[in-house]
Amino acid sequence: MNHLVNITKKELKELLTPGSIVSIVVVMVLLMSVGTVIGGEVEESSAAADIGVVYDAGAGIDPAASYAYLDTPAEIKLLIQDAYAYLYGTDGGTAASFIHYLDVASGDDDGIIAAMESKGLSYVISVPDAITSNIAGIKTMSGAEQTRIDTYFIFKDEGLFGSASDSVGTSLVGAMNSILSKKIADMAISGDSSYILQPLTWGGDGNHTSVNGTVYSGITPYALSGSMMSQSLMVPIVVMIVILMVGSVVISSMGSEKENKTLETLLTMPIRRTTIISGKLLAAAIVGLVYGVAYMIGMMFYMTGLTVGSTDVNLSDYGLSLGMLDWVILMAILFLAIFSALGICMILGAFTKNYKMAQQMTMPISFLAIIPMFVFMFMSWSALPALGKALMFLIPFSHPMMAMNNLMLGDMSVILGGMAYLLIFDAITIFITVKIYNSDILITGLEQTKFMRKLNKLFNMKKEDHENS
Amino acid sequence: MADALVLKDVKKIYGDREAVKGISFSVREGEIFGLIGPNGAGKTTTLRMICTLLNITEGSISVCGHDVMKESEEVRKIISYLPEDSGAYKDLTGRQYIRFMAAFFADGEKYHQMVEKGIRMSNLGDRIDSKVSTYSKGMMRRLLIARAMMPEPKLAVMDEITSGLDVMNAYEIREIVRDIAKNGVTALISSHNMFEVESLCSRVAMINHGNIVEHGTPADLKRKYDANNLEEVFVRAVKK
Repeated sequence: MNHLVNITKKELKELLTPGSIVSIVVVMVLLMSVGTVIGGEVEESSAAADIGVVYDAGAGIDPAASYAYLDTPAEIKLLIQDAYAYLYGTDGGTAASFIHYLDVASGDDDGIIAAMESKGLSYVISVPDAITSNIAGIKTMSGAEQTRIDTYFIFKDEGLFGSASDSVGTSLVGAMNSILSKKIADMAISGDSSYILQPLTWGGDGNHTSVNGTVYSGITPYALSGSMMSQSLMVPIVVMIVILMVGSVVISSMGSEKENKTLETLLTMPIRRTTIISGKLLAAAIVGLVYGVAYMIGMMFYMTGLTVGSTDVNLSDYGLSLGMLDWVILMAILFLAIFSALGICMILGAFTKNYKMAQQMTMPISFLAIIPMFVFMFMSWSALPALGKALMFLIPFSHPMMAMNNLMLGDMSVILGGMAYLLIFDAITIFITVKIYNSDILITGLEQTKFMRKLNKLFNMKKEDHENS
Repeated sequence: MADALVLKDVKKIYGDREAVKGISFSVREGEIFGLIGPNGAGKTTTLRMICTLLNITEGSISVCGHDVMKESEEVRKIISYLPEDSGAYKDLTGRQYIRFMAAFFADGEKYHQMVEKGIRMSNLGDRIDSKVSTYSKGMMRRLLIARAMMPEPKLAVMDEITSGLDVMNAYEIREIVRDIAKNGVTALISSHNMFEVESLCSRVAMINHGNIVEHGTPADLKRKYDANNLEEVFVRAVKK
């Protein structure tokens, strides 16, 4: 038993290094943070939101309105208010404060979208004036007709859960339908029961969504987001895997060279140090590209299998597809990001002493790849707060992760800014790498630098003081 | 005979520690010169400075007239360095390793000749096509010496060439080094094995705590200190 304890203790000591403990804690904190963010997104998406209504804008809301014959605009407005209060669990006064009547003609799609944009509304319902006469028709069975309520959305890439609010938007009309149906039945007026049960129709061609400034009918942002989910999830995962693989290849190669003492031999060959750096970078970039293509194909099949049947939305019908130039830009950003990873890894690799240390050295690059992956799997660039945007912009691997969605939505400022940043970042890392490869650090490690020697001296002095006391 | 290697007041300082404290010595063309001293004396640091791996803090080193700091690329064309306990790329076979290294020095027909020479010098027989990871220490050392000598360097710098080898392999390696010198290659070897150095080298320099404490031929040094071997010389020179 003592031997078992002895061996177990030794193994634990080797496995639970400060590095591995830090990585466990960081992953735990990351997962907790992601959980909180998702929870916040879902909560926010189901919270009461401002909505617009196109119906009888001039008259305003009559606070004393009550249901009588359902044949006046005041009663229809009360119906909308009650449906809203029912849907979000608010009182009538609160509901009224969230409902904004727009002074736009029913059916004027562009005018409605413009009003939504100016007022910052998530969605609008358009109720035709004919609703009162249609209700009268249902009650009397003379020319009974359902009333189509149109809904309008503006598509924004709001991440996996941000788009949940769109489904809540369409539910408002459903709530109106239920209340109206009950009211008509309560009036106990004989008529066609199917119309009494369903006096309103909605959805289908009644949905109108603005995508990049063009209004499309028969689609909701929720359906679009569902179709975009496969790439929203796939791209960050593939980029993360490629970065980790490439980083591991470069750092391990350096660790292996140092452990086997082949680096010293290589550095005395009649070639420039920049040639050695370029050769290592090029090989790792090719490996990265192979990994990238292989994983992209694999993930595409995986995600297709995962989402088959869940949506039949063809994104290209709504202008949400990538052209040849977009693909070129995407590949360029991916290449620049891989190069950033390689640059960082070459710098970190210079400080490794052996293969084991090289494995630990991949930790910083892992964090830099995993953090934006989690963020962009669940949120989009536009949905991030200012601080989040700044942090994500500074991490070079964020840019290929968000590039596809930004290209589809035409957010070129982030794309071009990101490319410029990556170019500067890569230039700086290459400069530092060349400096390190021309210095003694590559051979002696950090221990022999002035700073580390002073630090060690200080540490040893304190240790001696402690032991003496 | 001209000097193949000249060190003048060479210092190497790490932070506040002087690893090499202003040493000077020279190695003549075609001789085997030994740099001897205990572990941590500054031998490897000196060899690394000669081979352009470390920057010199003060002083100068020239190899066949080329300054190692100012003409490092020229120096790397005429030297071969064999670090202590060095290895080769384990995923390659011996032949692939020889080919990989030869490609840095030659191309075309010269390249093929160099590869053949390297394979012949390694004397590994059929095992030249085995993975390097399967080699014994002695086989590995023969491969690395072949790699170092096949480009016909003007100066071969070898750090602890027989460390960790058994008697037979160590003897064989020493014979190879003697052959190299006979073919006109200047060799600088470092070792803490003073008996080995005495049997191989025409001249030696003794280094301790970064200082050259004595230098000359083994015979002169033994006479000067009335010693039976270089080990006794070293002990007496350090105590002096």
